[in-house]
Amino acid sequence: MGRRRRRRPDPADAARALPEAIAALSRALPAAPSPETFRRAKFDRPEAAPALWRLLFRVLSPLPADGASASLALEAQARWVKSALRSQGYPRQALVQLPDEGFQGGRELLLALAWLLARGPLPERLLTQSRVRLGDEMPLCECEALASPGLPAPSVEAEGCVDIRHLQWLMGKLRLRWRNLMAGQQEQCALLGQIHAYTRGCHSDRSLGHLSVTETELLRDPEGGRQLLLQLETENARLEAALEWRRRELVFWQWMDTVLDACPPEASLPTFLPRIPKLGAGAAGLLVRELQALQEELRALQEELQEAVEARRAAWQAAVGGHGPEWRAARRALQTAVAQDLAALQRAWEQDEGRSRPHGPCRLVRTEARVPGGPGLWAAGVTEALRAREACLEAVLSQLQSQCRQELARLAGARPGLIWILPPAH
Amino acid sequence: MLPAECSRRLVAELRDALDSCAERQRQLEQSLRVSRRLLRAWEPAETPAPEPTPGPEINEETPSSACPPSPQDLKELELLTQALEKAVRVRKGLSKAGGVKARSPKSGSASSATRASAPPSTSRCAGSCALEAKPPRGVRHPWVPAKDLPGHRLLLVGDGPHMGQGARANKPEAGLRDQQIVPKAASQVPEAFTLKDKGALLRLPEAFRKAASRNARLWAQLSSMQTGDSVDAAAATAKTQFLQKMQTAAGQPSSMLSAAEVRRLQKACSLLRLRMREELMADPKDWTQEYRSLLTLEGLQALVGQCLHRLQEQQELRSVVVEQLQGPCPEGPPRAASPCGGDADPVWSPQLLLYSSTQELQTLAALRLRVAMLDQQVHLEKVLMAELLPLLSEQEPLGRPWLALCRAAHCLLCERGQRFLTVLRDEPADRLSPP
Repeated sequence: MGRRRRRRPDPADAARALPEAIAALSRALPAAPSPETFRRAKFDRPEAAPALWRLLFRVLSPLPADGASASLALEAQARWVKSALRSQGYPRQALVQLPDEGFQGGRELLLALAWLLARGPLPERLLTQSRVRLGDEMPLCECEALASPGLPAPSVEAEGCVDIRHLQWLMGKLRLRWRNLMAGQQEQCALLGQIHAYTRGCHSDRSLGHLSVTETELLRDPEGGRQLLLQLETENARLEAALEWRRRELVFWQWMDTVLDACPPEASLPTFLPRIPKLGAGAAGLLVRELQALQEELRALQEELQEAVEARRAAWQAAVGGHGPEWRAARRALQTAVAQDLAALQRAWEQDEGRSRPHGPCRLVRTEARVPGGPGLWAAGVTEALRAREACLEAVLSQLQSQCRQELARLAGARPGLIWILPPAH
Repeated sequence: MLPAECSRRLVAELRDALDSCAERQRQLEQSLRVSRRLLRAWEPAETPAPEPTPGPEINEETPSSACPPSPQDLKELELLTQALEKAVRVRKGLSKAGGVKARSPKSGSASSATRASAPPSTSRCAGSCALEAKPPRGVRHPWVPAKDLPGHRLLLVGDGPHMGQGARANKPEAGLRDQQIVPKAASQVPEAFTLKDKGALLRLPEAFRKAASRNARLWAQLSSMQTGDSVDAAAATAKTQFLQKMQTAAGQPSSMLSAAEVRRLQKACSLLRLRMREELMADPKDWTQEYRSLLTLEGLQALVGQCLHRLQEQQELRSVVVEQLQGPCPEGPPRAASPCGGDADPVWSPQLLLYSSTQELQTLAALRLRVAMLDQQVHLEKVLMAELLPLLSEQEPLGRPWLALCRAAHCLLCERGQRFLTVLRDEPADRLSPP
C-alpha cells in the first residue's frame, strides 16, 4: 500500500498518524464518538465515559431494535455491557467495579474497546451485520439468526408454578407456527421465482442476470430507492473507513500500550472468573450438564480401555520371549505406524468442521445455465447437504427420545401395579 | 404442577422458541407483502420533484411513476387524442378508399399538435414512463408513430396492427374508446405497468448501479485484506501482545471451555469409542497384529486421558469460583448453540445460490426450515429432559399427580408432544380403573 510504517515511525509522523487512525476507526464503527473523546478517555476525563459506554453497548449488543435499546438508560446500558464483557471472558476487574451511573472510568472503557478490537475483526463484523442487502438472500445456516436474538426482555413475567399441560399447549402452538411458516415460505418462493423470471436480462451484472426483489422495489418506489441509495453510500463510506483503519492501525496499538501502562496495576484479588451459573440455570446450565455427561462417558471409556490394555499387555509379556533383533526394527515400524494412525484420528475431531457445511447467507439467482459461469453454489448440491443434516438431526432426536423412553420405562418399572400402553409406533 | 424455578425456565425456553418463530413469520410476511405488490400492477407513485436532467435519462428512470397530470396536461391530452383519433379515422377512410395523398396534411397537423404538447409534458413528467417510448433491445412489440412521444397514455391510441401483444393494456381497441376513457384514466394510470409484461424492460438507475458496484468492490477489498497475505504482521503481533498484557495484568487463568470445544470433545469421545470397539472386535492373526492392536489401545487410552484432563481442569476452575457480581446476570449474551462455531469469520459477501426452477427453490427453502425446526426441537428436547427427568425420579408418591406428570412427560419427550400413552392400574380385583 505504499506506506512505510513497518518500522518505528518517527515522532512527527506519529503525531499525525494517530489522530488519523482514530478518526478512521470512528468513521468505521457505528455511532462512534469523536477522536477527541478517545484522547480524553486516555486521561480518564469524565466526559468521555458516557460516549464510550454507549459505543460499547452498541458494539456488543446484537442488531439494535430501533428505539427499544437506544432508549435504555445509561445505567442499564452500562450494566448490560459489564455482563456481556464478563461472559466473553474480559480479564480486567476494574471495569466491573466502575459505578453504573456511567460517568467514570473512561480509560477502562477505552481498554475494553481495544480488547474487543484486538480479539477479532470487529468493525468488519459490525458492517456485516448491518450490511445493505441488495439481493434475495437465503441463509443456509442459522448463525445470523442465533447471533441476533432480540435484546433481553427487561422484565420476564415472573410466573409461578405451571401445570405441565401448559407446556404441552405451548409445544402445540409452536408446532402450528412452524407449519404456518412453512406454508408461507412456499408461497414466497413461488413469488420470488416469478419475479426473477420476469426481470430476466435486466441486470447490468451478467452473472446475476435478473433483478432481485429489493432492486425491483426500488424501481417501483423511487422514494424507497433514494433511501436505499443513501444507505448504500453510507455503507460505502464506512467500508472505506474500515480499510483505512486497517492500514493505519499499528500506531493505534502502540498508543494503547501507553494507555495500559498508564493504568495503576490491578490489585490481585482472588481469581475473578466469568460467572458460573448454578446448575440448571438456563442455557449455561445445559452446557454444564452436557459437560458432566461427557465426563462420565470419557471415564467409562477410560475404564474399558484400561481393562483391555492390561489384559493384552499381560498376554503379550507372557508370549514375547524368543524374538530376535529383527523384532526391534519391526517394533519401531509398528510404533510409528500406530502413532500416525492416532494422529489422523485426532485430526478428525480437532479440525474445523465449519468448511463442510454450507455457511452464511446466499443470494438467490435464477439461471437456465447448466454449467457454472463463475463461483456459486448449486441448489442441488445445497439440497443434498441439507438433507444430510436433516437426517443427522433426526437421528439425534430419535436417540434422545429413546433415551427418555428407557429412563421412563425404568421409572415406571420401579412402581409395580401399573400397565403402560404405549402409543403405536408409526 | 411443576415447581416454580423449573416452570419459569421451561416456560422461558418455550417462549423463546415461539418468539423466534414469530420473528421469522413477521419477516416472511413483510417479504410476501412486498413481493405480492410487485407482481400486481404498479400504482403510480407521487414523484416529489422532476428529474433535473430529463434528456439522457429518460430511458433509465422509473418506468411507472407517472406524475399526476395537471389540468393543462389533461386539456392537451384531450386535444391530442382528438387529433390522433381523427388521424385514425382518416387513415381508415383512406385505406378503404385506397388513397394516400390526403394523409400527409392530416398527419402533419397531428404531429405538429403532438409536438406542441410534447415539450410541456416532457418538462413535467420527465422521469416517467418514456420507457415504453424507447424500445430497448429484445422488445417484441413494434412501436410506431407514438415512438417519439413521451407519456405512455398516448400508446393507447393506435391502429390495430400497431398495437402490441394482447397482454398489453388488455384492450387493443382502446384507442377508439379513448375519448371516454382518457380523461378519466388520466387521473389514474390508464395502462398500468405489470412486471409480467414489461419486467424485461426495466433498468436500474445509474447512480444506484455505481454505488452498488463500488460497494461490491470495497467488500472484496476488505475481505482480501483480512484473509490474504497482506495482513499486516506488525499489527497482528501488536494486537497479540496487547491481549497478553491485558491478561497478565489481570492475573486470570485461561478462559473456560467454549461450546465449540465441548462439541469437539464430544466428537472425540464418540470417535475414540468407535475405534476402541473396532480394535476389541478384531482378531489378531499373528504377533505383529497383536502388538499393533495393543499399541493402538494404549494410544487411545492416552488420548482419552488427555480429554479427561482438559475437562477436569474446568471442573477445578469451577470449584474456586468467586461470585463477583452484584445483581442478577441478564441473559444478554446469545446462546452458544450455533452449529457453525460462534466465532466463525463474518461472511463478507453473500455467495450466489443458483437455482433453475421454482420447484427447486421451494424444496430448498422447505428443507432449510425443516433443519432449523429440527435444531430447535433437539435443543428443546435436551432442555425438557434436563428438567423433567430429575423431577420424575425425585418424586416418590405413587399418586395421580405423579402418573399424570409421567404420562405428560412421556408425551413431550418421546412423542414430540403428539401422542399419549395410556396407564392402567393393575388392580387385583376384577375392575380396572384408568387413572
